[in-house]
Amino acid sequence: MAVVEMKRIHVYALKNNRKKILEMLQRRAVVEVDTPEEASLGEAKGPFSKTDTASARLTFEKNAQLVGSAVETLDSYAPPQKSMLAMLEGRTGVSARQVQQTAEAAPEVTKIAANIVALGKRVNDQQAEIARLEAQLEALKPWMNLDVSMRTIGTNSTSVFIGTFPEELTAGEIKTRLAAALPEISGVEAEVVSTQPQQTCAFVVCLGREGAKVESALRGMGFTYPAAPSKKPPVQRAEDLRARIAAAQADIESAGKEIASYAGRRQDLLFTSDYYTMRASKYQVLGDLWQSPHVFYLTGYVTAGAAPALQRELEEKYQAFVEVETPAEGEDLPIKLQNGFFSAPVEGVIEGYSLPGKREVDPSKVMCVFYYVLFGMMLSDAAYGFLIALGMGIVLLKFKNIEEGLRKTLRMFFFCGLSTMFWGVLFGSYFGDAVDVIARTFFGYGADMPSLTPPLWFAPLDQPMRLMLFSFLLGIIHLFAGLAMQIYQLCRRGKYLDALYDSGFWYMLVGGLIIALVSLDMFQEMMGLSIAIPPVVTNIALAFAAIGAVGIVATSGRESRGVKRFLKGLYGLYGVSSWLSDILSYSRLLALGLATGVIAQVFNMLGTMAGSGPVGVVLFVLVFVIGHVLNLLINLLGAYVHTNRLQYVEFFGKFYEGGGRKFEPFAAKTKYFKITEE
Amino acid sequence: MQNFDWNALGVVFALLGAVLAALMGGIGSAIGVGLTGQAAAGVVTEDPSQFGKVLILQLLPGTQGIYGLLIGFVTLTQIGVLGGTAPDTLSKGLLYLAACLPMAIVGMVSAKWQAKAAVSSISLVAKRPDQFGKSMIFPAMVETYAVLALLISILSITSIANI
Repeated sequence: MAVVEMKRIHVYALKNNRKKILEMLQRRAVVEVDTPEEASLGEAKGPFSKTDTASARLTFEKNAQLVGSAVETLDSYAPPQKSMLAMLEGRTGVSARQVQQTAEAAPEVTKIAANIVALGKRVNDQQAEIARLEAQLEALKPWMNLDVSMRTIGTNSTSVFIGTFPEELTAGEIKTRLAAALPEISGVEAEVVSTQPQQTCAFVVCLGREGAKVESALRGMGFTYPAAPSKKPPVQRAEDLRARIAAAQADIESAGKEIASYAGRRQDLLFTSDYYTMRASKYQVLGDLWQSPHVFYLTGYVTAGAAPALQRELEEKYQAFVEVETPAEGEDLPIKLQNGFFSAPVEGVIEGYSLPGKREVDPSKVMCVFYYVLFGMMLSDAAYGFLIALGMGIVLLKFKNIEEGLRKTLRMFFFCGLSTMFWGVLFGSYFGDAVDVIARTFFGYGADMPSLTPPLWFAPLDQPMRLMLFSFLLGIIHLFAGLAMQIYQLCRRGKYLDALYDSGFWYMLVGGLIIALVSLDMFQEMMGLSIAIPPVVTNIALAFAAIGAVGIVATSGRESRGVKRFLKGLYGLYGVSSWLSDILSYSRLLALGLATGVIAQVFNMLGTMAGSGPVGVVLFVLVFVIGHVLNLLINLLGAYVHTNRLQYVEFFGKFYEGGGRKFEPFAAKTKYFKITEE
Repeated sequence: MQNFDWNALGVVFALLGAVLAALMGGIGSAIGVGLTGQAAAGVVTEDPSQFGKVLILQLLPGTQGIYGLLIGFVTLTQIGVLGGTAPDTLSKGLLYLAACLPMAIVGMVSAKWQAKAAVSSISLVAKRPDQFGKSMIFPAMVETYAVLALLISILSITSIANI
């Protein structure tokens, strides 16, 4: 149970060492800078003031972003060879000297990045242009048979109308309608260029002096001029457009090639992006420092373990004046958890809920045991457990450079896998009943012969009641462990009476009631138990339960007075119903355990449908592989979710509130490389 | 009709129960996973890195279908279809039907409501990916009742043969 002890560190140093000190702190990543606000300092700040570094920081952040988007563009043209396991490989380690080189090369790399981004933009622009041109080309299609400019309005003595009618018409129909509308005019010629459903493109010519009349008659027929008439004849215009599309495509290609030619600089780009991120976070800290003309002051939290070495280094190497003190009582300390090999993996689960709040203990050590046990029970198949543990084990051994958080998660599943194996052996489940099924179907093992993989303990499907009772028992142990944590927490703060009131009485009440219940004949018969509990024990248990109940009624409302206190006490006793539902909740251990086994059986049975011939073997292998992979994934998810739920709701509900703030040290929050110490 | 053996209907009703459990649980889960899938896909269009998280949330209402299958299968192994002996009386068949009903009905309804909780959790994760741990718990709360129904169904089914 280790919430790491925090100290407050004060560093006073000369400004000419500022860069070195900040860089050193960033590499060590053990100090969370926490500068007091101006208001709280008041007169005490003397000649010290803060510098505004926001604009510098913004520049770095913008650069980091620029380089980042350059990499994105680059990756779409020259996809990097990324293996499926890339995320397991972790960040590349680089030396301080390489960082220095990256810093020196940064302006040049930034220029490359800007160029890549500009090229990417050019490609986008040209693609938009192509889309525009293609739309134009599409609009021209109905006019391809027209051999004059679409803007032709006539000659000296004729008027020409080029446009569309909103229906399908033939040249004859157009002429007939015109003749009907304008009986006095003759010599109108119409030609249909093309017809589509609901549209006719037509060319109409008449004598120049009759133009106005013909036009109004045409309008009466729904005639409209095209939206974008081309100056050249449509065929030529289309050729021009195609040429422009080809040019744009060529431009895209050349831009793409130019982008791809930077593929060799990908690494540099990534490093530079990280370098800018680092600089940005350094400038943020810089803006938080109190500075006088020659001296700066930095304060924050440091883990107690790292404090002495840091103090020595700062004093000896950088002539700083360093003070390390125990933080004041009211300070909002950041929380860092530290645990051993076995319990550290569940830190992530705790963080998913909330880090321990003030005066709370780190529940990892207690929780991890239950976590592994409960998870294993829900999945409970030896072969599945073996596969999980094997997979995780191989990954953990092969990839030494995995990021810490991921490594912990993998280790958690490794232990969960081991536990699953353990329960699988106890319940006799190896890919469900695969061994028996294979033996019976393909090797003629008698159906009435005993199972080849007998359970070490019992088979859940044969005795579900027994497993349910065991689940409840585990639940009671889990919940009581939560209560014990509560007692521990309260005692640590010296609140012994509260420990008795809020936890002790519940032990008596719930414990007493359970023993009394178990001693009932009816219950034993129902559950198929035969535990002889002497009446004396039952009576003692009932007495304890009574003391607990009275105690709870008397103390639950101890903050209030009079009738209110009594009512609150009664309400406190009502909490026994939540105990009932909490314990019942552990029946999911049975439900999920059975689900794994039964679905595995279903798949095994499906596999044997085609008998024992060659086809049968092929079918069996197919169904077996697909089915068990599916079953494993689904039940892995179920086990994970429900184990978390039992921890969060049932276990944490008994003692844990959380609300702690995570320790966020000043560090190089890089994505691609990791600075190793020089 | 006078010679009609009503007891022959026992196995019919028992099978009806098994089928209903798988059917209704499956329907509920299909609706549920469909709902959550839409929400999850929406999140992934904005932020593909959330795929793993929203996938887990999407699958949460999928368990009712599995529980339904489980009850269906266990019933089949009891009533002489895949093992066991066929119920010899009408009442026994009806008992199997009744035993399957908790899983069938609660499974279908809870899957739908769990899906609604999961959809909300998916939008929670979209806005605050760091709150994934908590977001998982809200839909899991609904599932409790499916688990309880499963429990009652399975305890009933495995005990009916001894009545």
